[in-house]
This record gives sequence, C-alpha cells and structure tokens, in this order.
Amino acid sequence: MHIPDGYLDLTIALIFFVLTLVVLGYSLVKLRHGKLTSLFGIISAAIFAAQMLNWPIPGGTSAHFVGGSLAGILLGPFAGCVSMAIVLTIQTLVFNDGGITAWGANVWNMAVVNVFVGYYVYKALQRFGKTFASFIAGWIGITIAAIFAGIELGLSTSFAYGLSITVPVMGLWHAILGVIEGVITAGVVGYIATRRSDLLEKGETGKVPFVLIGLMIVLSPVFAYLAEEVGYSEPLENVAEFLGLEENTINPGLLPDYTIPGLDPYIGTLLSGAIGVLIVFLLSFAVKYAHSSRKNT
Amino acid sequence: MHILLEKTLRNASSYFQNFFIHEYKTRGLIYEIDARVKFISTIVFVLLAVSTFEPIKLLFLLFSLFVILKILGLSLKKLFQRIWLFTAFSFIVVSPFLFSNLQYSLLFTLRVLISLIAVQMLVMSTNFYDLCSALSSLRIPESFVHALWIAYRYTILLFQDIINILLARESRRVAKTSHREIWKKGGEAVGLFFLRSIERSERLQLAMVSRGEKIVVQKTKLGFLEISYIAIVAFIVLWWISL
Repeated sequence: MHIPDGYLDLTIALIFFVLTLVVLGYSLVKLRHGKLTSLFGIISAAIFAAQMLNWPIPGGTSAHFVGGSLAGILLGPFAGCVSMAIVLTIQTLVFNDGGITAWGANVWNMAVVNVFVGYYVYKALQRFGKTFASFIAGWIGITIAAIFAGIELGLSTSFAYGLSITVPVMGLWHAILGVIEGVITAGVVGYIATRRSDLLEKGETGKVPFVLIGLMIVLSPVFAYLAEEVGYSEPLENVAEFLGLEENTINPGLLPDYTIPGLDPYIGTLLSGAIGVLIVFLLSFAVKYAHSSRKNT
Repeated sequence: MHILLEKTLRNASSYFQNFFIHEYKTRGLIYEIDARVKFISTIVFVLLAVSTFEPIKLLFLLFSLFVILKILGLSLKKLFQRIWLFTAFSFIVVSPFLFSNLQYSLLFTLRVLISLIAVQMLVMSTNFYDLCSALSSLRIPESFVHALWIAYRYTILLFQDIINILLARESRRVAKTSHREIWKKGGEAVGLFFLRSIERSERLQLAMVSRGEKIVVQKTKLGFLEISYIAIVAFIVLWWISL
C-alpha cells in the first residue's frame, strides 16, 4: 500500500502532506506531557518487527500485517497515529518503501485513516466482544485505508489509471487480505485482554477531535479532487475564466504574476519567490528589533 | 507455525541487509557531505523528477545523477541491486499502455527510477543517526525524531524477540497445524510480543529519565565540500528549469 514517488501529482501529494501534518502535529501536542518517547519508539519498532512476519495463506503465498488498527486499539488513536508515522518514516528513509513526496499520503492512509477508523470501529463494536470488535476493526481499517490510497492514485493525472480502476483494485484486494489483518488483530487483542486488559481501556478522545478528524478523513478526497481541479493557478482566476470575465489590471505591481518582465517565467518565479522571502525576513527582523528596543527603553 | 517462521526468516534476512549498508569498505566523498545538505538535495531531485513528463528534462536529471554518483564514489552496482525491482514493477504497472502510449509508459518508469536513485543516494551514504540529527536541526519535533531513533535502534532486538517467541512455541508443538491454527496461535504469540514490548518501553523510559538521553544535534558549519555540492545541485536545478 506504500505509494512511491512519481505516482501522485504534486498538488495531491501536497494536500495530504498538509492534512497529515495537522493531525500528526495535533497528536504530538496532545501527548506532549505524557513522556511517551520510549513508548512510541519501542512500539513502532515492535510494529515494524511484526510487519516482517510472513503469514502463510492457502495456495502457497503469504501476506504481511500492517498493524494500524492494532496500534490505535493498544495505544489510543493519537499515540497510535504517531507510532505508525514513525514506522512509515523509517520505511521511507531506510528502506525506500514509499516515496518522500508521497510520505504525506502514505502516513494519511496507514497512520491516520487506518488507526482512527480502526480505533473507532473497535470502540463502537466493543460491546459485542473485544475479539469480534478487533477483528472487524482490523479488517475495515486496512480496507478503508486501501480505498483512500486508490482514490489518491485515481485522482492523480500522473497515474494513467482512473478512479474506476484504482479504487476497486485496491479496495477489493485489501478487503480479501484484510481478513488476515483482522484475524491477527483479534488474536493479539484477545490475548492482551486475558493478560493485561487494563492496556485496552484507553480513555475517550473527546467529541471535538473525533468530529474534526472524522470530517478531515471524510473530506480529504474532496480536497484532493479540488486541488487537482485548481492545479497551480489561482482559484479566482479559474472562476473568472469559467464565468467568461476579462482581466482589467489596475496596478500590475513590481513582480506581475510572480514573474520578472524579460526573464524566463520559471526563473522569474524562482527569483520573485526569493525576493518575497527576503522581504518577509527583513520585515520580521525589523518588527523583532523594534519590539526589543521598546522593551529596553 | 514452521511455515510462518521459515518464510519470515528468509524474507527478513534480505531485508536486514539494509541495516548494514554503512559498513561498505569503500567510502567515497558523498559519505562526508553533511546529512542536512544531502537530505534537502534529495527532496529537490525528487521534486524535479516528479514534476515533469518532459523527456529532455528527465534524461538530463538522470544523466546529472549518474555524474554525481560517479564523482562522489557511490557504487552503481549496489545502487541498482536496490532499485531494479521496484523500477521493473512500475514498468509492469503501466505496461498496458505500452502500445497505446509508449512514451507515457517509458517516462513514468523513468520518473520512478530517478526518484529511487535520488533517495538511494541519501540512504546508502548517510548514517541514520546523522539523518535524525539533520531532521532535528531542520526543526522536526524532538519527540518525533527521538522516537524515530529509538525505533530504528530497537528493531533488530525486537525482531529477535518475536522470533524467539515463535521458536519457543514451535518447539513445544506436537501436532500438525492448519492455516487457521497458525493465524490464531501466531496472533497470540504476537500478543505476548506486544505485551513484552510495552513493558520494555516502560523500563526504557525509566532508564532514560534516570540517565538522561537525547539526540545531540550536530550543527557543524558547512564546509567547502557542502558548498560545492549545493552549487552543483543549484546548477542542475537552474539548467533543468531552462531546458
């Protein structure tokens, strides 16, 4: 399910980068007082080690365990999300498994969607028994995550297959393999429930984060679709073009349309970006200097 | 259970070889370059590769990476051993378009190939501690980077742990087991493994609190080698833009 570099359009990759950073950043802030660094590190290493097990399936082939739902059930969704993000970052930076530009999308699918969906499915079904709930959580979590990967790939114009192919292929295949994920998740949770059931009693996450992160997950394909539609241009320009309006420039500015007249558009954009950054830096230093000099007086 | 063990060990032995990449005997110039510079350069190369389908730009980038690899002394043979499989996989994925759009199939594979080369240049020449240190100095949250470093260091130990648990259970088995039984017993074994891991993390946290431990960020000044590398990357970027 790891998407490599080159498969996603940059606009889609960027959207998922931002969404992932928001959820991951919120999770880190929420857990900052817990002194959980070693827990994240060790559980990430444990998930990584467990992912290396090759589970035999009838027919001579084998499948791997992903562990997103399990991480959510064992650690809670926020710590589970951070742990899975660590696993995926190591896989990107050490094993080249998943691309650098696709890091946001991969973490979104396997550390956000898989973990949060798995956790909340488990919570919703817990009253029917922990083993049953964890089986469904493991199965549904991985299948939904795969469907999200299919949506991201299908929306990207760089990847020639459309949504009608990518979503069913990813979704159906992982719905079948997801049964194994569900069985292993159920085995692990069932065992822990008999030995250390206190570990499975994670506190509720609160309604506001649940609603906000749930909305972000549900709406993320819409964001990706809109990013692809808007592309690199201004949304207002697209609207104007759609309505057939004509541009009437009042003041072209020093760097019209982020270019430098007379220069190649790419180099012009690069230089105007550098000039913009320089201006922001200078203004920031000026404000800081003014603030500190006022403090001293 | 023995099928689970055998398949896992066979697969893992090739997987773990990646951990010992820093033990190459021949060390070229690229190993000496600051990890921050290499990390940012890698992102730049990947961005250049995935933002175009123009053959001339992609071929220029591929040629430039080959020149850098040759000059800085990274083994091309070892690099291709690591990337050929996924490049071939990407080609197979888009092979249905071979007859209708040959150019797309080739350029798509080329984009993936260049991205893989760029990332492998970083992976094969940079110690993971240096990479964590670089991430820290690039303002990635300390708790995340620290956990990343712990996870990396403990992976082999924990893998040995899980294999020991599976071996112990296998040695006590007396009857032949079905696939369902393997999954069930395997799930229990992994459950025990996670329990042990959580307890290990509690002990580690206490040890860290008592002795104190954090990643020391190496903020060395960029030397001549780093500045030269930055200049080369900037030159490639500008040339790529002007093509």
